[in-house]
Amino acid sequence: MAWGLSASFLVAIVTGILLAYPFNESYPLLSTVGIENVVPFGRFFRRLHYWSGFFTLILLFYHAAETLVAEGYRRRDWARWLALCATLPLLILIAFTGYVARGDETGRFAGYIAESLVLKVPLLGSLLNACLFLVRESGVHRPYLFHFYASLALFFVSGIWHFRLRRLPLEDLLGWLLAPMILALVYPLGLHAPGPYLLIKGPWFFLGVQEALRYFPPVWAGILFPALGILLYVLVKMDSLRKWVFGGLLVWTGVYMFFMVYGLLR
Amino acid sequence: MLAMFAALIQELRFKRADKVYTLASGRVDMCLACHKEAPGKAHARGVVGCADCHLGDPLTVEKKRAHRGMVKNPGDLRVADQTCGRPECHPGYAERVKKSLMATNRGIITTLRYYWGEIEDFHAEASVETLMKTDETSPALDYFRKLCGTCHLWLPKEKLPGFLKKKGGGCVACHLIPGKNKDKKVHSILTRKIPLENCVRCHNRSGRIGLSYQGLYEDEQYGAPIEEGEFAAEELEDGRFVARIPPDVHFKAGMVCVDCHTQNETMGDGKAYAHFEESLEITCEACHEGTGRTRKGTLLTNLKVKDGKIYWQAKLSGKELEVKRPDPVACRHPVHRRLTCESCHDQRVPQCFGCHVRRDPREKQLDKLSFKETPGLWEEFRSYMRVEVPTLGVREDKVVILVPG
Repeated sequence: MAWGLSASFLVAIVTGILLAYPFNESYPLLSTVGIENVVPFGRFFRRLHYWSGFFTLILLFYHAAETLVAEGYRRRDWARWLALCATLPLLILIAFTGYVARGDETGRFAGYIAESLVLKVPLLGSLLNACLFLVRESGVHRPYLFHFYASLALFFVSGIWHFRLRRLPLEDLLGWLLAPMILALVYPLGLHAPGPYLLIKGPWFFLGVQEALRYFPPVWAGILFPALGILLYVLVKMDSLRKWVFGGLLVWTGVYMFFMVYGLLR
Repeated sequence: MLAMFAALIQELRFKRADKVYTLASGRVDMCLACHKEAPGKAHARGVVGCADCHLGDPLTVEKKRAHRGMVKNPGDLRVADQTCGRPECHPGYAERVKKSLMATNRGIITTLRYYWGEIEDFHAEASVETLMKTDETSPALDYFRKLCGTCHLWLPKEKLPGFLKKKGGGCVACHLIPGKNKDKKVHSILTRKIPLENCVRCHNRSGRIGLSYQGLYEDEQYGAPIEEGEFAAEELEDGRFVARIPPDVHFKAGMVCVDCHTQNETMGDGKAYAHFEESLEITCEACHEGTGRTRKGTLLTNLKVKDGKIYWQAKLSGKELEVKRPDPVACRHPVHRRLTCESCHDQRVPQCFGCHVRRDPREKQLDKLSFKETPGLWEEFRSYMRVEVPTLGVREDKVVILVPG
C-alpha cells in the first residue's frame, strides 16, 4: 500500500502539472469551468487529479494506521517520527487548498472558514494565514501556491528521504493509475455554483471540523479538536503513555468519523 | 489501454463549449453555450443567467447534469424564493405575493363558507396553499375546489387542460407575455408592463370587471343575437359569448388594469388581508383631484401636475394623458357628498340574476387543487343576464353601486 500511496501521489502530481497550464489563479472558477467544459481532455484530467488525490489521502490514512499496527514508530527516532507525522497534516492541507483553489462555492467558503480558524492560532496565526490562505485579501493565490509547491516538495523530499530514491514498481503505478481512471470515466465531478444556499458542505475530510463548529467554539472545534488527533498520533511513540494514547486515538477517530458522517448526511 | 480508449471515446462524444460564457456581472453561465433564447430586456441574455431563474447547474455543458434540479417555471410560488425572489433580484417579493389575495383567495373562500353557513367569522383564515396540501373539504370548499380553484397564483402553469392551461404560474401569471417571433421556439418575455389580457384571464367572472372595462358584455349565450343566420357575438376562450358595448373611458385612453391598481394592491403589501376591499388602495380622487397618493399613502409616480393640469403617464404606451378634474358643480355639490364617483360614472354594469348551483353526487369532477377526480359534479345556472344602470346601495355611509353576480 505504501507504493500505492506513492503511485497515487505521482499521478496526482503529473495531472496537477498538466492542469496548471489552463488554470489561472486570478480567475479560479472561470478557468476551472474552462478546464471542465472547453479544454480538450480537461474534465478527464481534472477528474483523474481529483481521484488520484483522493486515493493519496485515503492511502496515507491507511499507511498511518498500518504503521501503528506494525509498530513502525519503534524503528524511528523522535526527529524522523515527528517529520513523518507532519506529512499527515501537510497532505490534508494540500488536499484542502486544492478544494479552495477551484474557486467555487465549496472552495470559497472553505477558504473563508479556514482563514478565520487559522487566524485564531496563538502567535503563529497571521504567519500561517499568509502562507496558506489570505483568501479575503488575495483570492486563491496563496492556497494555489501552497497546493502546487507543497505537493512537489512533499513528493520529492519523501521520495529522497523516506523511499531513498527507489524506483516505483511499474505494476503499482499502472494499477493506481487505472483505479482513478475508472472513477474519472464513470463518476462526474461537479462544481458548486454560486446561489442563495443555506447549506454549503466543505471537502469531505473537513466535514468533521465543519460539523463540530456548529456546536463548539471555533478554537475548540476548529483548532484543538483536529490538532488533538495529530498530537495523539505523535504521542504513540511514548511507551509510558501508549495504552492511553491508543484509547484516546480510537475515541478521537470515532468522534471525528461520527461528525463527518453526520455532516455528510445533513 | 482499454481505460485510455474509453477516455478517448468519452472525449470524442463530449460536445465541448467554444468558450467559458460569463454574464455582465462576471459570473459563469455555461447554459448560454447551448441556449440562445432571450427573455426580454429586463432579464436580458448575458445580464441575467439562465440558472439564475431556472436553477440547474450553470457550470457544466453536460446536458443531464446541467438540467438537474431545473425548474421550467421560475415564477412558481413553490420555488420563487430561490428564483425571482432570490436576495440579489427581487428580495421579499415572494413572501409578499404569497400573502396577497391573488395567492390566498382568502376572500373568495371565506365569503363562500360564510354565506353557506359553514363559518361564523367573515375574516377567518383561509388559503389555497393550505387546501392544496390537505384534503380539507366541505360543501363550500368542494365547490371552490372544482369551480373556483383555477384563478390563484399557486396553480402550476400548464397543469390544467384547455384554456385553463394559461392560468396560474405565480409571478409569471401576470409578468409573462409571449415571445415576439411566434414561428420559432422563443423564450416568453418578462415584463412589468402587464397587458390587460393577463389580468382578464382570471378577472372575467363575478362582476365581469375585466370584460366590462374593455367593452364586452357576456350575453345570454347561444351566440345571441343571431344576425343573418350567424352568431353576432364573439366567443371567449372558455366558450362564453360576448357582445360589444361601449368600453370604459380609461380603456379608450389606452390605460390597462395596472395603470390604476398599484403594486401593493396586486402583489400584496406584506399584510394578509381577508377581503379585496381591505387591500384596495386606489381611489378616483388620487388622480382626478391630483393628490397623487392612494388612500394608504402610496405615491403614484406616474401622476404629474404641469401648469395646473394633471397628467397620467400611461404605463404601457408611455403617453401622457390629461386627467380630467372633477366637475366643480356636480361633484362638489353638497347633495352629492355621499356619492362615490362610480355611483354616477358607471353607466352600466352586467347583472346576473337567479344565480344557483347544483351538485350531482353521482358524477365526478376534477378538483383543481388536488388535480384528482372526486365525487360530486357542480353546475352553475342563472335566470338571466342584463347590462344596465346599476343598483345603488349604501356602504359605510357612502352610496356605492351593487353588482349582483
